[in-house]
Amino acid sequence: MLSESKLKAIKDFISSLNKDEQIWASGYLNGIVFNSGETTAAVAGTSADVKPLVSKITIVYGTETGNSKKLSTEFAGKAKKVGINAKVIAMDQYRLTDLLKEEYFLVVVATHGEGEPPEAAKKFYDHVMQDNTKLDKLKFSVLALGDTSYPLFCQTGEDIDKKFETVGAKRIAPLQKCDVEFEEDANKWFGAVMAALTSSSTPATQVTTSAAAGHGAASVKKTGKLTYEGPIITHINLNDKGSNKETYHIEIAAEGLEYQCGDSIGIVPENNSQMVTDIIAKTNIDGNKSVLFKNEKTTIYELLKRKINIVYLTERLVKQYADTMGHAIPVGRMDLLDIVKKYPIKNIGQFEDFLVTLNAISPRLYTIASSPAAHEGEVHVVVAKDVYINNGETRFGLCSDYLKNLKIGAKQKFFIQANKRFRLPAEDKDIIMVGPGTGIAAYRSFLAERDATGASGRSWLFFGEQHFASDFLYQTEIQNWFETGVLNKINLAFSRDQKEKVYVQDKMQQNAAELYEWLSSGASFYICGKKDPMSTDVENTLLKIIEQYGNQSPEGAKEYLEQLKEEGRYEKDVY
Amino acid sequence: MSEKNNLSAIEKIKVASDGLRGSIKQSLQDEITGAIREDDKAVIKFHGMYEQDDRDRREERAAKKLDRLYTFMIRLRLPGGFLTADKWIAAHNIAGENSTGVIKITTRQTIQLHGLVKSKIKPTIQAFSEAHLDSIATCGDINRNVTCASNPKMSPLHAEVFAYADKISELLMPKTKAYYEIWINDEKIVDKKDEEDPLYQDRYLPRKFKIGIAIPPNNDSDVFTNDIGLIAIIENNVFKGFNIAIGGGLSTTHGNPDTYARLATVIGFTDTEFKTLKAVYEVLTVQRDYGNRSDRKLARLKYTVDKYGVDWFREELEKRIGFKLEAPRPYTFTERQDLYGWEKSEQGLWYYTVFVENGRVLDDEKIALKTALLEVAKTGKSNFLFTATQNVIISDVAEKDKPAIQKILAQFKIIEHTENASAVRRNSIACVALPTCPLALAEGQRYLPTLISKIEPLLEKHKLADENIIVRMTGCPNGCGRPYAAEIGFVGTAPGKYNMHLGGDNQGERLNKTYKQHLDEAAILSELDGLFGTFKKERKKGESFGDFANHKWVSDKK
Repeated sequence: MLSESKLKAIKDFISSLNKDEQIWASGYLNGIVFNSGETTAAVAGTSADVKPLVSKITIVYGTETGNSKKLSTEFAGKAKKVGINAKVIAMDQYRLTDLLKEEYFLVVVATHGEGEPPEAAKKFYDHVMQDNTKLDKLKFSVLALGDTSYPLFCQTGEDIDKKFETVGAKRIAPLQKCDVEFEEDANKWFGAVMAALTSSSTPATQVTTSAAAGHGAASVKKTGKLTYEGPIITHINLNDKGSNKETYHIEIAAEGLEYQCGDSIGIVPENNSQMVTDIIAKTNIDGNKSVLFKNEKTTIYELLKRKINIVYLTERLVKQYADTMGHAIPVGRMDLLDIVKKYPIKNIGQFEDFLVTLNAISPRLYTIASSPAAHEGEVHVVVAKDVYINNGETRFGLCSDYLKNLKIGAKQKFFIQANKRFRLPAEDKDIIMVGPGTGIAAYRSFLAERDATGASGRSWLFFGEQHFASDFLYQTEIQNWFETGVLNKINLAFSRDQKEKVYVQDKMQQNAAELYEWLSSGASFYICGKKDPMSTDVENTLLKIIEQYGNQSPEGAKEYLEQLKEEGRYEKDVY
Repeated sequence: MSEKNNLSAIEKIKVASDGLRGSIKQSLQDEITGAIREDDKAVIKFHGMYEQDDRDRREERAAKKLDRLYTFMIRLRLPGGFLTADKWIAAHNIAGENSTGVIKITTRQTIQLHGLVKSKIKPTIQAFSEAHLDSIATCGDINRNVTCASNPKMSPLHAEVFAYADKISELLMPKTKAYYEIWINDEKIVDKKDEEDPLYQDRYLPRKFKIGIAIPPNNDSDVFTNDIGLIAIIENNVFKGFNIAIGGGLSTTHGNPDTYARLATVIGFTDTEFKTLKAVYEVLTVQRDYGNRSDRKLARLKYTVDKYGVDWFREELEKRIGFKLEAPRPYTFTERQDLYGWEKSEQGLWYYTVFVENGRVLDDEKIALKTALLEVAKTGKSNFLFTATQNVIISDVAEKDKPAIQKILAQFKIIEHTENASAVRRNSIACVALPTCPLALAEGQRYLPTLISKIEPLLEKHKLADENIIVRMTGCPNGCGRPYAAEIGFVGTAPGKYNMHLGGDNQGERLNKTYKQHLDEAAILSELDGLFGTFKKERKKGESFGDFANHKWVSDKK
């Protein structure tokens, strides 16, 4: 394209530059090109005067739903445009020893559940939190994704941000927390970070505007969590008389519902009314009194009933109460009602102050048990009543107890939590589904969907529970799918119907040859249900089967599984 | 060799079953359902089981997206109702582990367990097998459990007669080894020649087949209700042989006028074991060859006998046995009841007949009968005999061991329980019916005790409490509780509704007739109040309720 002489001149010039100057030049040229009129005006305005101050950055992300990854890639694209070499790595693939060598280091991380890092970020997070090696070369900024409906909003990002500071790293832009609808806040952070990485006359706000231009309302809708509300239309205990379990199948109708098979539903439970009334009666606090909670005006009753968590308070909160009220309370977790009964409050004002410091009730997620194609306008969940023992007393989990007591016709709010890592494959692909207990939820969704859409791929279900007679969740529906060929194979493990306990992994082992055959001909493998010990046992059995029937070493089997994971053919939804 | 062209579905299943194997093994592997495959439901009967489901639970389970609660009833083969103490202990333990826990004494002197889920069948049969017990041919189109006069007190020759129950049972066993192959050791029999069955061939009988033995004058085994009834003839304290009666059977179908209950007809006498067994065997072959195989409602021996005539049947039988039957010997039945309490046999052994309401052996809030019988069995000082009225006799107790047994019976209030039961209650029978029997239209054993409690005050009111009136109830017209051979019979027609039958005699030689149809409890009680009043006023001295009712109320009825 260039004449020989021009090319030589450029080559000479470039060789005279040091590395940083070369990068600058590249950005400079880039700017000139963007300004030349061949690109759109919107982009041109932002790029013209931007000059990179650094040559390369590393962006690590820890994602739960894919949003952190998406944002990291998006920012990397912007950085590349101004001439910054941006490397994007998932936290679970990041070599932790590289941290010492990093200079410009950006963290995009989500917070999961009760303030925990996403599964894929755990190793990175633990390393950062535990290692106190000085990182004074490191220049960083953190973008934290979260959900204000959880008490520990953006906790993971916050922890990393603080920790980097304590080990001597330099913050180049303040921590940015984002709520469910993260677009705008993320763009603010993009602007702030970009400003720190470049010498630019362009105000950060302009960057924000331009970056946001590509994301309309539709995008927000796609990634954000819409809240729905609708009546409970069905509420059944699926277990028969004589069962040790109570498992509720709940159907909620709602308009404009959008979700996919594999997604979850989020529900914020309310506290037990009796418990709330008892607390008010015991403490003589005025239920109608207005208070401020998270900058929102509410009444004490509303606060106790719908806002704050009053069951199984953490040791820290119990201690806080003990200190405030001047009681000696043994270390441990307690319900608020038990605390005020055993250790009466001494001052109503102090108690009010204590109440507003309690954690907000966090939403609980349940894998959706319905299919958009088969159950239009409805979402179904299956919830096992959670029973645990505290101080020798039988207690019920807050949300399962709340859901158990819902009445037909009552309105229920909920939101949809997308799970992009648990999806049906193409309609002609085979699926192997392992899901004992309420793990059946996702597969009822899958099978109903495949039934409704007439998918041609084969399906194989492994289900287990305690007793065949009383605990075979969705038995008649599963029988229908089996009879009509929607479900091609089923193996059941009822652990307590015989002397020796039998579990789903035992059934996998009994059918190992065929299972491996399905895998090697392209089947996707799913695990849904209890993380421990179920999903671990199932995974170990799967590895064993790959070893045995794929003639693999233990390492080879692991690689095989990794490969499946990469192809999106090994997916887990465990809790 | 009739109706060959229009065989019923069950006939085809039997022939295709490969010696009663069917696809039972595959059915047991079907994890997704508690049921077995459709054809196997017919085949498994020959192995002594019925597939049932808890009808009370159907609706609620359907709402819970659960399939019907399928379970199996298993019935033992106990010729004459005899069980050693060890075997009783085994049955007790097996019932506790695998079934509902209730041991049901049947109207055919055996015991059955209910509520076995599919996966428990094999362990149950294997446990029975270890105790030398089996359930072969206790249901299905085949000779079922052979009944026999139960109490040795009835005759010094009881043992000699009783031995026939076992002999006949053995003689009429199917030859297939499918039972052992499927349930016990899983080894497929290679040589099919061993399984050749000249009696049953591959089609078995057209319908169920029942044989009973009685020792006059007590007809406790209800001998005439059987396809073959053998009446022991004892002359001058010598056992001479049997009168043979054929064509008894009680099952009918509501709304099908072609069906009817029938008492067996005495057709002759045989004097040797060889002749008796030969005759019994060939009655089965005649029925095998001439019975109706296209309509199962008309397939019992009684219809074959009536279709071809008694004389024809005797001739055909004599052709097959190769000798003439002798003329029937005289006999007299005077009663039909269990001898409650202690009785001593001619041989000096003691027998205690325990009252078991509707044959249900369990521990309830009133009485710990199941535990009491287990304690008795553990002494090892007795055997057990079941009666056709669903009671148990603690049998063969030596004089010296009697106090030990007496102590247990007293301790568990068994004596009190037996002695305090009213006459009408002791003489009553009810079938299982709801919730497990698929045929039931109304309640049986769950309801009769309550009804009896309401009948008792009426009898007392009319000063009839000591009358041995025989009341029997079934939830359908199939007749398992022998209601047509009762003095007062109740046959279920719909929930809470019964046809009331009157006029059967006390000793079981005359069937009753339908008196009123479709009565509810209030109507039943008001009817009985009136009937008892009239009976008390107008009866001849010593006249039984059944005889009185027969000429007074139902003589002109069909």
